[in-house]
Amino acid sequence: MASNLDDEIEELQAKVSSLKKQLRIQTSALITAPSTRQLLTQTAQTATLTLPRKDGAVSDATPQQKQALLSQSALQQAHNQQCLYRACATLTTFRARDPDPHAVDGGAILGLRIEVVSRAKFLRPYYVLLNRPYPGGSRHLRVHRHTVPPCIPLAGLAGRYLPPPPKAGQGVGGGDEDGGGGGGQGKRQDLARFARALRREVVRYHHRLGVVADLRKAAALGREKDVEAEAEADEDEDDEEEASRLERQQNRLVDITPADAEAKQLTIEWADGRTGRLVMGDDGEIVKLVVLGENGRDREAGRDLLGGAVRVEDVVKRLVALA
Amino acid sequence: MPRVSVPTTARLPSSLRVPASNSAALKILSRLSRSSLLSVALDWLDDNNLPLTQPYLREDEYEDDDDADADDFYPPARSPHDLRELYISLQARKGSRREVLDRITEGDWRHGLTLYQLAMADLQYLHDHPTSQKWSAYRIQPLQPPQDPDNPSPPKPDPSSLTIPRFHPSTFLRTLQTQILPDIKAHYNFDAHRSLPLLILRIFVLDSPYNTAAAAGGGGGGNLTNFDSARTVYIAFPHASPHLFISKPTTTTTASSASSGGGEAKSLRNLLVEGIPKALSRPLRRERFALQGTGLVTRNLAEMVERRGAGRTNAAGGGWGWYADEKGVRARETPLDLVLPSPPLSVDEEGQLVECGIIDGERMPGWMTGEEGVTIGAVRNGRIRGHKGSGL
Repeated sequence: MASNLDDEIEELQAKVSSLKKQLRIQTSALITAPSTRQLLTQTAQTATLTLPRKDGAVSDATPQQKQALLSQSALQQAHNQQCLYRACATLTTFRARDPDPHAVDGGAILGLRIEVVSRAKFLRPYYVLLNRPYPGGSRHLRVHRHTVPPCIPLAGLAGRYLPPPPKAGQGVGGGDEDGGGGGGQGKRQDLARFARALRREVVRYHHRLGVVADLRKAAALGREKDVEAEAEADEDEDDEEEASRLERQQNRLVDITPADAEAKQLTIEWADGRTGRLVMGDDGEIVKLVVLGENGRDREAGRDLLGGAVRVEDVVKRLVALA
Repeated sequence: MPRVSVPTTARLPSSLRVPASNSAALKILSRLSRSSLLSVALDWLDDNNLPLTQPYLREDEYEDDDDADADDFYPPARSPHDLRELYISLQARKGSRREVLDRITEGDWRHGLTLYQLAMADLQYLHDHPTSQKWSAYRIQPLQPPQDPDNPSPPKPDPSSLTIPRFHPSTFLRTLQTQILPDIKAHYNFDAHRSLPLLILRIFVLDSPYNTAAAAGGGGGGNLTNFDSARTVYIAFPHASPHLFISKPTTTTTASSASSGGGEAKSLRNLLVEGIPKALSRPLRRERFALQGTGLVTRNLAEMVERRGAGRTNAAGGGWGWYADEKGVRARETPLDLVLPSPPLSVDEEGQLVECGIIDGERMPGWMTGEEGVTIGAVRNGRIRGHKGSGL
């Protein structure tokens, strides 16, 4: 009885939170609707705007209420526009403040936001936060904080496209601002190229991860139960089919995993103990595949897997077609 | 079997047995609690480990008189399976740690413990006491390829390199032993950390150029000097991160004097810091690396992984955590969600001290909230500069 009541309460609470969410979504849609804005701006002169009160009755909106609604509407509109840019351009900038009270340049921060779509979903964006730490009013930017994973060569890209300004006195006294005594010093900075190159690396990385996931799916990994069930179902077959089934079983792939941080190298394992290493380029083109069997290198297995494919996606298609 | 010791540069095999009475072996085992000892013993008896951890068993299978064992306090078991049952029954029973320790060293492994077993026991201790080691984080930094092969200048770090170091355990180990540390006799053991995304390499350094059982403390206990200088170093490789963590070398024996401790441990560590990047480098592919200290020293491995791991939090610590947050309220910050976000909270979240009014969160300098991710550095004008240019 008690548990029944608990269940009911839980159900109702879930309903409440779902309704509240609905309400928020509807509000955000309504408040920027052209008709709403028209009402809000026009009523100032002519008609009256009625708002529901807490007790259910309606009353005319006070000027303060209207003003609040208008500013809310403007905020929402700005947010909508930002979301539109974020979704379509996938590379946006924003301003932020450094919470450190001793931050350089008054704590002014320029943020880069990189959107990544993976499996039909927007992931949490990657952020790069830049500041201007160099003395003498230099407008040169420097990467201050970022959330880019270490498998993206952010430092190298910053070294290429955001080199520090030339030091006063050129190296006398050994500048130690960034420890980087690199070649790019004193060159012009190019924020746009930096952002584009960085986004390219991030997107490539996620595409490589995606293609590994596709490969695993195509090779039916993580679904061993199905294979076993199939094996059991096939038991009453004649010898010829039995032999071919056995061969299929041995040629089955049992594991495909990224072998390095950048997901450019894959380890492939076969059911009969053969292992392979597939190296792909930045954009998913196949650079090399080596398969090692019991007696050293197994070139035939490599050819079998690739079948003339030049890109990893082609291997995915092949595996899907074979299954 | 001829008892001849031959100098060799190979690494010590995992199957090398150390007498169970060896003080280093005893120390490693006696650090463990009763339950850990039992679980380690059961791990040894696992079928996968048995080739390297064979217990002392009865040899005469068919001769069924117990007279031979009559005066044996720990009669040898007939099979690993029997032993497994026995240790499982010990697990269910209450008793002292000493009981299990004696059973292992005087009974079931009286013929000695392999280096592999000692490594497993040591790693168990590391898991039981996660703060027992002091770790320093190092960044693996790409170096500029040498310009002029005839006139080699000291390699400089390459700030515009796009190379991400790749780590292959067995290749790394082979190069480390054959090229870098040929005069160090050591046993190496890789193990994945149980809860953190780390690969842990345990290096058990035995300073003898003769890697036979006799050198490993045999010969009736007369040759124990070898083990007095034995040291254990851990190197942790975080998954998918161009960093590595090196622990402070610790001696295994109780006999080590304080005077020999400091300098030797330091030189061993320096040797590793110099040797590891060479073992990671691939000169044929023009990929050379150096290790750069990051000024982060801590006993907390989880914190290490947070600050120098594979995630988003490396360069967004302290007050910047919001940007890296993948689990919190705003984790799903997708542009498809048109609902207006609630106004962001104050960025400083130093928790209770701020709430109680002991610290003014607004005036707290960033380096105190862990933003820079360094534990060593100099503060000037309210800004921290990591030791020797480390930090972000």
